[in-house]
Amino acid sequence: MSKPHYDREHHAKKATGIGDPQCFKGEAPPPKFKVGDKVRVKDLPDIFYNRAQVYTRGAPAVVAELVYESPAAEDESWDNTENVTWFYSVIFKQKDLWPEYPDTFANDTVETELPERWLEPL
Amino acid sequence: MAEINPEYLDLDADMSKRDMDQSPVFLLEKIKQEGRVWGDLCEQYGVKNPDPPWRVTLEATCDMLAENNCRTSDTGEAAQTAEAEKDTKVLDGIERRWEEDHLVKEHYANVPFPENQLLALAHTLIRRGLMDENELARKMKEVDQRLNMT
Amino acid sequence: MTDEHKPHAPAPMVDEVSEFEVLEIAVRELAIEKGLFTAEDHQRWTEYMHTLGPLPAARLVAKAWLDPEYKKLAVTDGVKASLEVGIDWVNSMPTKFGTPSDYCNLRVLEDTPTLHHVVVCTLCSCYPRPILGQSPEWYRTPNYRRRLVRWPRQVLAEFGLQLPEEVEVRVEDSNQKSRFIVLPVRPEGTEGWTEDQLAEIVTRDCLIGVALPRPGKTANDPRPVRPALKPYHH
Repeated sequence: MSKPHYDREHHAKKATGIGDPQCFKGEAPPPKFKVGDKVRVKDLPDIFYNRAQVYTRGAPAVVAELVYESPAAEDESWDNTENVTWFYSVIFKQKDLWPEYPDTFANDTVETELPERWLEPL
Repeated sequence: MAEINPEYLDLDADMSKRDMDQSPVFLLEKIKQEGRVWGDLCEQYGVKNPDPPWRVTLEATCDMLAENNCRTSDTGEAAQTAEAEKDTKVLDGIERRWEEDHLVKEHYANVPFPENQLLALAHTLIRRGLMDENELARKMKEVDQRLNMT
Repeated sequence: MTDEHKPHAPAPMVDEVSEFEVLEIAVRELAIEKGLFTAEDHQRWTEYMHTLGPLPAARLVAKAWLDPEYKKLAVTDGVKASLEVGIDWVNSMPTKFGTPSDYCNLRVLEDTPTLHHVVVCTLCSCYPRPILGQSPEWYRTPNYRRRLVRWPRQVLAEFGLQLPEEVEVRVEDSNQKSRFIVLPVRPEGTEGWTEDQLAEIVTRDCLIGVALPRPGKTANDPRPVRPALKPYHH
Protein backbone atom coordinates (compact mmCIF):
# COMPACT_ATOMS: atom_id res chain seq x y z
CA MET A 1 0.00 0.00 0.00
CA SER A 2 1.53 3.27 -1.02
CA LYS A 3 1.49 6.12 1.44
CA PRO A 4 -0.66 9.09 0.49
CA HIS A 5 1.37 12.04 -0.71
CA TYR A 6 1.06 14.93 1.69
CA ASP A 7 2.03 18.34 0.43
CA ARG A 8 3.31 20.01 3.56
CA GLU A 9 3.72 23.32 1.75
CA HIS A 10 0.14 23.62 0.59
CA HIS A 11 -0.74 26.30 3.12
CA ALA A 12 2.34 28.32 2.26
CA LYS A 13 1.57 28.02 -1.43
CA LYS A 14 -1.97 29.21 -0.89
CA ALA A 15 -1.28 32.07 1.50
CA THR A 16 2.05 33.54 0.41
CA GLY A 17 1.70 37.16 -0.64
CA ILE A 18 -2.01 37.10 0.22
CA GLY A 19 -2.11 36.45 3.95
CA ASP A 20 -4.16 34.28 6.25
CA PRO A 21 -7.21 34.58 6.63
CA GLN A 22 -7.33 36.61 3.38
CA CYS A 23 -6.43 33.50 1.34
CA PHE A 24 -9.81 31.94 2.18
CA LYS A 25 -11.84 34.89 0.92
CA GLY A 26 -14.81 33.87 -1.21
CA GLU A 27 -14.68 30.19 -0.20
CA ALA A 28 -17.41 30.16 2.45
CA PRO A 29 -21.08 29.55 1.70
CA PRO A 30 -23.26 32.66 2.04
CA PRO A 31 -23.41 33.87 5.66
CA LYS A 32 -26.41 32.76 7.73
CA PHE A 33 -26.33 35.80 10.00
CA LYS A 34 -26.13 39.53 9.50
CA VAL A 35 -25.06 42.42 11.69
CA GLY A 36 -27.58 42.97 14.49
CA ASP A 37 -28.86 39.37 14.56
CA LYS A 38 -29.43 37.84 17.97
CA VAL A 39 -27.64 34.53 18.35
CA ARG A 40 -26.72 31.96 20.96
CA VAL A 41 -23.42 30.11 21.23
CA LYS A 42 -24.02 26.40 20.77
CA ASP A 43 -22.99 23.70 23.19
CA LEU A 44 -21.01 21.62 20.74
CA PRO A 45 -18.81 18.76 21.92
CA ASP A 46 -15.14 19.66 21.80
CA ILE A 47 -13.08 16.56 22.23
CA PHE A 48 -10.00 18.01 20.61
CA TYR A 49 -8.57 21.41 19.82
CA ASN A 50 -10.90 24.34 19.29
CA ARG A 51 -10.94 28.03 20.10
CA ALA A 52 -14.58 28.60 21.06
CA GLN A 53 -14.16 29.58 24.66
CA VAL A 54 -16.12 27.57 27.20
CA TYR A 55 -17.31 30.66 29.06
CA THR A 56 -19.33 31.73 26.01
CA ARG A 57 -21.24 28.46 25.61
CA GLY A 58 -24.98 28.82 25.85
CA ALA A 59 -24.85 32.59 26.16
CA PRO A 60 -26.88 35.00 24.00
CA ALA A 61 -25.03 37.56 21.89
CA VAL A 62 -25.52 40.08 19.09
CA VAL A 63 -23.63 39.95 15.80
CA ALA A 64 -21.45 43.06 15.53
CA GLU A 65 -19.49 42.31 12.38
CA LEU A 66 -18.82 39.65 9.75
CA VAL A 67 -15.07 39.61 10.02
CA TYR A 68 -13.51 37.10 7.58
CA GLU A 69 -13.82 33.65 6.05
CA SER A 70 -11.63 30.83 7.32
CA PRO A 71 -11.76 27.20 8.33
CA ALA A 72 -12.75 26.82 11.99
CA ALA A 73 -9.82 26.20 14.34
CA GLU A 74 -11.00 22.67 15.16
CA ASP A 75 -10.84 21.78 11.45
CA GLU A 76 -7.68 23.67 10.63
CA SER A 77 -5.79 22.01 13.47
CA TRP A 78 -6.27 18.75 11.54
CA ASP A 79 -5.29 20.49 8.33
CA ASN A 80 -8.84 20.29 7.06
CA THR A 81 -9.35 23.46 5.05
CA GLU A 82 -12.35 22.28 3.04
CA ASN A 83 -15.10 23.71 5.21
CA VAL A 84 -14.38 27.41 5.04
CA THR A 85 -16.94 29.36 7.03
CA TRP A 86 -17.83 32.92 7.99
CA PHE A 87 -16.47 34.24 11.27
CA TYR A 88 -18.59 36.64 13.28
CA SER A 89 -17.60 39.13 15.89
CA VAL A 90 -20.30 38.90 18.55
CA ILE A 91 -20.98 40.97 21.65
CA PHE A 92 -22.15 39.55 24.98
CA LYS A 93 -23.55 41.40 27.95
CA GLN A 94 -21.26 40.65 30.89
CA LYS A 95 -24.37 39.89 32.91
CA ASP A 96 -25.27 37.07 30.49
CA LEU A 97 -21.86 35.47 30.94
CA TRP A 98 -21.40 35.93 34.68
CA PRO A 99 -24.67 36.18 36.64
CA GLU A 100 -22.86 37.77 39.58
CA TYR A 101 -21.54 40.66 37.48
CA PRO A 102 -22.46 43.87 39.33
CA ASP A 103 -25.68 45.63 38.21
CA THR A 104 -23.93 48.98 38.52
CA PHE A 105 -22.01 48.12 35.38
CA ALA A 106 -24.86 46.50 33.47
CA ASN A 107 -23.65 48.08 30.22
CA ASP A 108 -20.31 46.26 30.23
CA THR A 109 -19.72 43.79 27.42
CA VAL A 110 -17.36 41.16 26.00
CA GLU A 111 -16.69 40.86 22.27
CA THR A 112 -15.12 37.84 20.61
CA GLU A 113 -15.07 36.03 17.26
CA LEU A 114 -16.70 32.70 16.51
CA PRO A 115 -17.13 30.57 13.39
CA GLU A 116 -20.69 30.18 12.07
CA ARG A 117 -21.17 26.60 13.22
CA TRP A 118 -20.95 27.67 16.86
CA LEU A 119 -23.89 30.07 16.52
CA GLU A 120 -27.65 29.46 16.37
CA PRO A 121 -30.40 32.03 15.86
CA LEU A 122 -32.11 33.26 19.01
CA MET B 1 -27.74 33.13 31.97
CA ALA B 2 -25.12 30.87 30.47
CA GLU B 3 -25.44 27.26 31.46
CA ILE B 4 -21.90 26.09 31.66
CA ASN B 5 -21.31 22.42 32.04
CA PRO B 6 -18.34 21.98 34.35
CA GLU B 7 -17.61 18.64 32.72
CA TYR B 8 -16.58 20.32 29.52
CA LEU B 9 -13.51 18.99 27.85
CA ASP B 10 -11.64 22.19 27.30
CA LEU B 11 -7.95 22.81 26.84
CA ASP B 12 -7.36 22.53 30.57
CA ALA B 13 -9.00 19.15 30.82
CA ASP B 14 -7.41 17.87 27.63
CA MET B 15 -3.92 18.91 28.68
CA SER B 16 -4.32 17.77 32.28
CA LYS B 17 -5.17 14.27 31.09
CA ARG B 18 -1.89 13.84 29.32
CA ASP B 19 -0.24 12.83 32.52
CA MET B 20 2.99 14.58 31.83
CA ASP B 21 5.77 13.93 34.30
CA GLN B 22 5.48 16.95 36.59
CA SER B 23 8.61 16.27 38.64
CA PRO B 24 11.38 18.86 38.79
CA VAL B 25 14.32 18.64 36.39
CA PHE B 26 17.60 18.57 38.31
CA LEU B 27 19.56 20.64 35.80
CA LEU B 28 16.88 23.33 35.70
CA GLU B 29 16.51 23.37 39.47
CA LYS B 30 20.21 24.08 39.69
CA ILE B 31 19.96 26.99 37.23
CA LYS B 32 16.93 28.28 39.13
CA GLN B 33 18.96 28.32 42.36
CA GLU B 34 22.25 29.60 41.01
CA GLY B 35 21.39 31.59 37.91
CA ARG B 36 21.53 35.36 38.04
CA VAL B 37 18.37 36.94 36.68
CA TRP B 38 18.33 39.96 34.38
CA GLY B 39 17.09 42.39 37.03
CA ASP B 40 20.10 41.64 39.26
CA LEU B 41 22.55 42.00 36.40
CA CYS B 42 20.96 45.31 35.36
CA GLU B 43 21.38 46.68 38.83
CA GLN B 44 25.01 45.63 39.06
CA TYR B 45 26.00 46.95 35.64
CA GLY B 46 23.72 49.99 35.51
CA VAL B 47 21.82 48.72 32.49
CA LYS B 48 18.40 50.14 31.61
CA ASN B 49 17.11 47.69 29.00
CA PRO B 50 14.04 45.98 30.51
CA ASP B 51 14.71 42.73 28.63
CA PRO B 52 17.80 40.55 28.45
CA PRO B 53 19.38 40.37 24.99
CA TRP B 54 18.34 36.74 24.62
CA ARG B 55 14.62 37.40 24.99
CA VAL B 56 14.13 37.87 21.25
CA THR B 57 16.08 34.73 20.35
CA LEU B 58 14.04 32.77 22.89
CA GLU B 59 10.80 34.03 21.30
CA ALA B 60 12.14 33.06 17.91
CA THR B 61 12.97 29.56 19.16
CA CYS B 62 9.38 29.16 20.36
CA ASP B 63 8.07 30.34 16.98
CA MET B 64 10.41 28.01 15.12
CA LEU B 65 9.18 25.06 17.16
CA ALA B 66 5.51 25.99 16.76
CA GLU B 67 4.95 25.42 13.09
CA ASN B 68 6.72 24.77 9.83
CA ASN B 69 5.06 28.03 8.72
CA CYS B 70 8.00 29.90 10.18
CA ARG B 71 10.57 27.73 8.51
CA THR B 72 11.39 28.46 4.93
CA SER B 73 14.76 26.98 4.09
CA ASP B 74 13.61 23.38 3.71
CA THR B 75 10.98 24.00 1.08
CA GLY B 76 12.77 22.25 -1.77
CA GLU B 77 11.15 19.30 -3.53
CA ALA B 78 13.80 16.89 -2.22
CA ALA B 79 13.42 18.05 1.36
CA GLN B 80 9.67 17.80 0.98
CA THR B 81 9.81 14.18 -0.11
CA ALA B 82 12.32 13.26 2.54
CA GLU B 83 10.30 14.87 5.29
CA ALA B 84 6.84 14.13 3.99
CA GLU B 85 6.18 11.68 6.79
CA LYS B 86 7.68 13.80 9.51
CA ASP B 87 5.37 15.69 11.82
CA THR B 88 6.35 19.25 11.12
CA LYS B 89 4.72 20.72 14.18
CA VAL B 90 7.39 20.09 16.79
CA LEU B 91 5.73 21.82 19.71
CA ASP B 92 2.33 23.42 19.26
CA GLY B 93 2.23 27.00 20.50
CA ILE B 94 -0.93 26.80 22.57
CA GLU B 95 0.23 23.58 24.23
CA ARG B 96 3.61 25.07 25.05
CA ARG B 97 1.90 28.11 26.57
CA TRP B 98 -0.38 25.88 28.63
CA GLU B 99 2.59 23.92 29.94
CA GLU B 100 4.49 27.14 30.57
CA ASP B 101 1.66 28.46 32.75
CA HIS B 102 1.52 25.24 34.74
CA LEU B 103 5.26 24.63 35.04
CA VAL B 104 5.85 28.22 36.14
CA LYS B 105 3.20 27.87 38.81
CA GLU B 106 4.55 24.51 39.96
CA HIS B 107 8.31 24.99 39.76
CA TYR B 108 9.31 28.50 38.74
CA ALA B 109 6.86 30.74 40.60
CA ASN B 110 9.61 32.87 42.10
CA VAL B 111 11.59 33.25 38.90
CA PRO B 112 10.94 36.48 36.97
CA PHE B 113 10.02 36.69 33.28
CA PRO B 114 11.50 35.80 30.79
CA GLU B 115 13.78 33.53 32.82
CA ASN B 116 10.69 31.53 33.82
CA GLN B 117 9.60 31.20 30.18
CA LEU B 118 13.03 29.83 29.31
CA LEU B 119 13.06 27.32 32.17
CA ALA B 120 9.55 26.18 31.24
CA LEU B 121 10.50 25.72 27.58
CA ALA B 122 13.56 23.64 28.50
CA HIS B 123 11.42 21.66 30.94
CA THR B 124 8.80 20.94 28.27
CA LEU B 125 11.40 19.90 25.71
CA ILE B 126 13.04 17.51 28.16
CA ARG B 127 9.79 15.98 29.40
CA ARG B 128 8.53 15.50 25.84
CA GLY B 129 11.71 13.67 24.95
CA LEU B 130 12.77 16.27 22.39
CA MET B 131 15.96 16.82 24.37
CA ASP B 132 17.83 14.84 26.94
CA GLU B 133 18.76 16.42 30.26
CA ASN B 134 22.36 15.17 30.17
CA GLU B 135 22.71 16.20 26.58
CA LEU B 136 21.52 19.70 27.45
CA ALA B 137 23.91 19.86 30.41
CA ARG B 138 26.79 18.93 28.12
CA LYS B 139 25.73 21.54 25.60
CA MET B 140 25.57 24.18 28.32
CA LYS B 141 29.08 23.34 29.40
CA GLU B 142 30.28 23.68 25.83
CA VAL B 143 28.54 27.07 25.41
CA ASP B 144 29.84 28.25 28.77
CA GLN B 145 33.41 27.38 27.82
CA ARG B 146 33.03 29.14 24.52
CA LEU B 147 31.56 32.36 25.95
CA ASN B 148 33.14 32.58 29.35
CA MET B 149 36.42 30.98 28.29
CA THR B 150 36.38 28.88 31.43
CA MET C 1 35.18 57.66 29.33
CA THR C 2 33.24 60.55 30.84
CA ASP C 3 32.45 62.77 27.89
CA GLU C 4 29.12 64.28 28.91
CA HIS C 5 28.61 66.02 25.62
CA LYS C 6 28.83 62.92 23.54
CA PRO C 7 25.33 62.80 22.05
CA HIS C 8 24.85 59.07 21.66
CA ALA C 9 27.05 57.41 24.22
CA PRO C 10 26.35 53.69 24.04
CA ALA C 11 24.20 52.45 26.90
CA PRO C 12 26.14 50.34 29.35
CA MET C 13 25.87 46.61 28.78
CA VAL C 14 26.04 43.70 31.13
CA ASP C 15 29.56 42.29 31.28
CA GLU C 16 28.58 38.80 32.26
CA VAL C 17 27.08 35.77 30.57
CA SER C 18 24.55 34.40 33.04
CA GLU C 19 23.48 30.78 33.41
CA PHE C 20 20.16 31.75 31.81
CA GLU C 21 21.86 33.13 28.75
CA VAL C 22 23.93 29.97 28.48
CA LEU C 23 20.75 27.89 28.79
CA GLU C 24 19.00 29.87 26.05
CA ILE C 25 21.90 29.36 23.66
CA ALA C 26 22.24 25.68 24.57
CA VAL C 27 18.52 24.97 23.98
CA ARG C 28 18.64 26.74 20.63
CA GLU C 29 21.85 25.09 19.41
CA LEU C 30 20.73 21.65 20.51
CA ALA C 31 17.40 22.09 18.72
CA ILE C 32 19.30 23.07 15.57
CA GLU C 33 21.65 20.06 15.89
CA LYS C 34 18.62 17.82 16.21
CA GLY C 35 17.11 19.28 13.08
CA LEU C 36 14.03 20.78 14.77
CA PHE C 37 14.68 23.96 12.80
CA THR C 38 17.61 25.49 10.93
CA ALA C 39 20.02 28.15 12.15
CA GLU C 40 19.29 30.16 9.03
CA ASP C 41 15.52 30.29 9.64
CA HIS C 42 16.06 31.15 13.28
CA GLN C 43 18.33 34.02 12.36
CA ARG C 44 15.94 35.36 9.75
CA TRP C 45 13.08 35.27 12.25
CA THR C 46 15.13 36.90 15.00
CA GLU C 47 16.18 39.73 12.72
CA TYR C 48 12.55 40.37 11.85
CA MET C 49 11.51 40.32 15.52
CA HIS C 50 14.17 42.89 16.31
CA THR C 51 12.46 45.37 14.00
CA LEU C 52 9.16 45.22 15.90
CA GLY C 53 7.86 47.63 18.53
CA PRO C 54 4.83 49.73 19.48
CA LEU C 55 5.79 52.83 17.48
CA PRO C 56 3.86 52.06 14.27
CA ALA C 57 0.65 51.47 16.23
CA ALA C 58 1.14 54.75 18.13
CA ARG C 59 1.61 56.54 14.83
CA LEU C 60 -1.51 54.93 13.40
CA VAL C 61 -3.53 56.33 16.33
CA ALA C 62 -1.95 59.80 16.03
CA LYS C 63 -2.73 59.90 12.31
CA ALA C 64 -6.30 58.80 12.96
CA TRP C 65 -6.74 61.59 15.51
CA LEU C 66 -5.61 64.15 12.93
CA ASP C 67 -7.24 62.83 9.79
CA PRO C 68 -10.92 61.71 9.86
CA GLU C 69 -10.57 59.95 6.50
CA TYR C 70 -7.63 57.93 7.75
CA LYS C 71 -9.55 57.11 10.91
CA LYS C 72 -12.36 55.71 8.78
CA LEU C 73 -9.84 53.54 6.93
CA ALA C 74 -8.23 52.39 10.18
CA VAL C 75 -11.47 51.16 11.74
CA THR C 76 -12.70 49.49 8.55
CA ASP C 77 -9.42 48.04 7.22
CA GLY C 78 -6.65 47.94 9.80
CA VAL C 79 -4.31 46.00 7.53
CA LYS C 80 -4.53 48.63 4.80
CA ALA C 81 -4.19 51.48 7.31
CA SER C 82 -1.05 49.79 8.69
CA LEU C 83 0.69 50.24 5.33
CA GLU C 84 0.76 54.00 5.89
CA VAL C 85 2.73 53.53 9.10
CA GLY C 86 5.16 51.14 7.44
CA ILE C 87 3.69 47.79 8.45
CA ASP C 88 2.78 45.32 5.74
CA TRP C 89 1.05 42.52 7.66
CA VAL C 90 1.37 40.13 4.75
CA ASN C 91 4.72 40.82 3.18
CA SER C 92 6.96 42.19 5.91
CA MET C 93 6.93 38.91 7.75
CA PRO C 94 9.60 36.42 6.70
CA THR C 95 6.92 33.90 5.71
CA LYS C 96 4.90 36.43 3.67
CA PHE C 97 1.62 35.13 5.00
CA GLY C 98 1.63 35.52 8.78
CA THR C 99 2.42 32.89 11.38
CA PRO C 100 0.33 30.75 13.68
CA SER C 101 0.35 33.59 16.16
CA ASP C 102 0.33 36.58 13.79
CA TYR C 103 -2.56 36.22 11.40
CA CYS C 104 -3.09 39.10 9.02
CA ASN C 105 -6.33 40.63 10.26
CA LEU C 106 -5.84 43.75 12.33
CA ARG C 107 -8.94 45.34 13.82
CA VAL C 108 -8.70 48.84 15.24
CA LEU C 109 -11.20 49.30 18.09
CA GLU C 110 -12.46 52.85 18.30
CA ASP C 111 -13.20 54.20 21.77
CA THR C 112 -15.84 56.88 22.31
CA PRO C 113 -16.63 58.96 25.40
CA THR C 114 -19.06 56.17 26.43
CA LEU C 115 -17.21 53.07 25.21
CA HIS C 116 -13.78 51.81 26.27
CA HIS C 117 -12.10 48.75 24.76
CA VAL C 118 -9.49 46.57 26.43
CA VAL C 119 -7.80 43.58 24.78
CA VAL C 120 -6.97 40.14 26.15
CA CYS C 121 -6.35 36.67 24.80
CA THR C 122 -7.98 34.31 27.29
CA LEU C 123 -6.57 31.24 25.52
CA CYS C 124 -2.87 31.99 25.41
CA SER C 125 -1.29 35.32 24.48
CA CYS C 126 -2.34 36.34 20.93
CA TYR C 127 -1.02 39.85 20.36
CA PRO C 128 -0.62 42.10 17.30
CA ARG C 129 3.16 41.65 17.23
CA PRO C 130 3.82 43.09 13.75
CA ILE C 131 2.51 46.50 14.81
CA LEU C 132 2.96 46.43 18.60
CA GLY C 133 6.09 44.31 19.21
CA GLN C 134 6.42 41.67 21.91
CA SER C 135 3.68 41.43 24.51
CA PRO C 136 4.48 42.56 28.04
CA GLU C 137 4.89 39.92 30.70
CA TRP C 138 1.62 40.61 32.49
CA TYR C 139 -0.36 40.19 29.25
CA ARG C 140 0.71 36.55 29.15
CA THR C 141 -0.15 35.70 32.75
CA PRO C 142 -3.19 33.58 33.65
CA ASN C 143 -3.96 36.24 36.27
CA TYR C 144 -4.66 38.87 33.58
CA ARG C 145 -6.16 36.49 31.02
CA ARG C 146 -8.63 34.81 33.30
CA ARG C 147 -9.67 37.80 35.36
CA LEU C 148 -9.93 40.54 32.74
CA VAL C 149 -12.81 38.91 30.94
CA ARG C 150 -14.70 38.44 34.19
CA TRP C 151 -13.73 41.31 36.49
CA PRO C 152 -12.48 43.88 33.98
CA ARG C 153 -13.02 46.87 36.23
CA GLN C 154 -11.09 45.26 39.07
CA VAL C 155 -8.15 44.51 36.78
CA LEU C 156 -8.24 47.97 35.18
CA ALA C 157 -8.29 49.54 38.64
CA GLU C 158 -5.09 47.63 39.43
CA PHE C 159 -3.57 49.42 36.42
CA GLY C 160 -4.76 52.71 37.88
CA LEU C 161 -7.65 53.08 35.42
CA GLN C 162 -11.05 53.67 36.99
CA LEU C 163 -13.83 54.43 34.55
CA PRO C 164 -17.26 55.86 35.44
CA GLU C 165 -20.28 53.57 35.19
CA GLU C 166 -21.65 55.48 32.19
CA VAL C 167 -18.69 54.19 30.21
CA GLU C 168 -19.26 50.72 28.79
CA VAL C 169 -16.17 48.59 29.26
CA ARG C 170 -15.86 46.19 26.33
CA VAL C 171 -13.36 43.38 26.74
CA GLU C 172 -12.12 42.12 23.38
CA ASP C 173 -11.17 38.46 23.67
CA SER C 174 -8.62 37.95 20.92
CA ASN C 175 -8.71 34.22 20.38
CA GLN C 176 -9.33 33.63 16.68
CA LYS C 177 -7.56 35.17 13.66
CA SER C 178 -8.04 38.90 14.28
CA ARG C 179 -5.52 40.91 16.26
CA PHE C 180 -6.51 44.15 17.95
CA ILE C 181 -5.32 47.57 18.97
CA VAL C 182 -7.37 50.23 20.74
CA LEU C 183 -7.89 53.67 19.22
CA PRO C 184 -8.42 55.79 22.34
CA VAL C 185 -10.29 59.09 22.48
CA ARG C 186 -7.91 61.98 21.85
CA PRO C 187 -7.30 63.57 25.24
CA GLU C 188 -7.94 67.20 26.08
CA GLY C 189 -4.93 69.45 26.19
CA THR C 190 -3.53 68.21 22.89
CA GLU C 191 -5.11 70.84 20.64
CA GLY C 192 -2.78 71.91 17.84
CA TRP C 193 -0.31 69.09 18.49
CA THR C 194 1.66 67.52 15.65
CA GLU C 195 1.53 63.86 14.73
CA ASP C 196 4.91 63.33 16.43
CA GLN C 197 3.73 64.93 19.66
CA LEU C 198 0.53 62.90 19.66
CA ALA C 199 2.29 59.61 18.89
CA GLU C 200 4.51 60.10 21.94
CA ILE C 201 1.62 59.85 24.40
CA VAL C 202 0.09 56.75 22.78
CA THR C 203 1.90 54.19 24.90
CA ARG C 204 1.74 50.43 24.52
CA ASP C 205 -0.61 50.25 27.51
CA CYS C 206 -3.01 52.71 25.81
CA LEU C 207 -2.99 50.51 22.71
CA ILE C 208 -3.93 47.43 24.76
CA GLY C 209 -6.54 49.48 26.61
CA VAL C 210 -5.25 49.28 30.19
CA ALA C 211 -4.38 53.00 30.23
CA LEU C 212 -5.65 56.22 28.68
CA PRO C 213 -3.38 58.69 26.88
CA ARG C 214 -2.74 62.00 28.53
CA PRO C 215 -0.42 64.93 27.89
CA GLY C 216 2.99 64.49 29.47
CA LYS C 217 2.65 60.76 29.92
CA THR C 218 4.97 58.98 27.50
CA ALA C 219 5.87 55.77 29.32
CA ASN C 220 4.07 52.73 30.66
CA ASP C 221 3.62 52.46 34.41
CA PRO C 222 5.24 49.52 36.10
CA ARG C 223 2.69 46.75 36.38
CA PRO C 224 1.93 46.03 40.04
CA VAL C 225 2.13 42.31 40.69
CA ARG C 226 -0.80 41.35 42.88
CA PRO C 227 -2.32 38.03 43.73
CA ALA C 228 -5.86 37.60 42.40
CA LEU C 229 -8.45 39.02 44.80
CA LYS C 230 -11.05 36.66 43.46
CA PRO C 231 -10.49 33.11 42.35
CA TYR C 232 -10.87 32.19 38.72
CA HIS C 233 -12.57 28.86 39.29
CA HIS C 234 -16.32 28.57 39.72
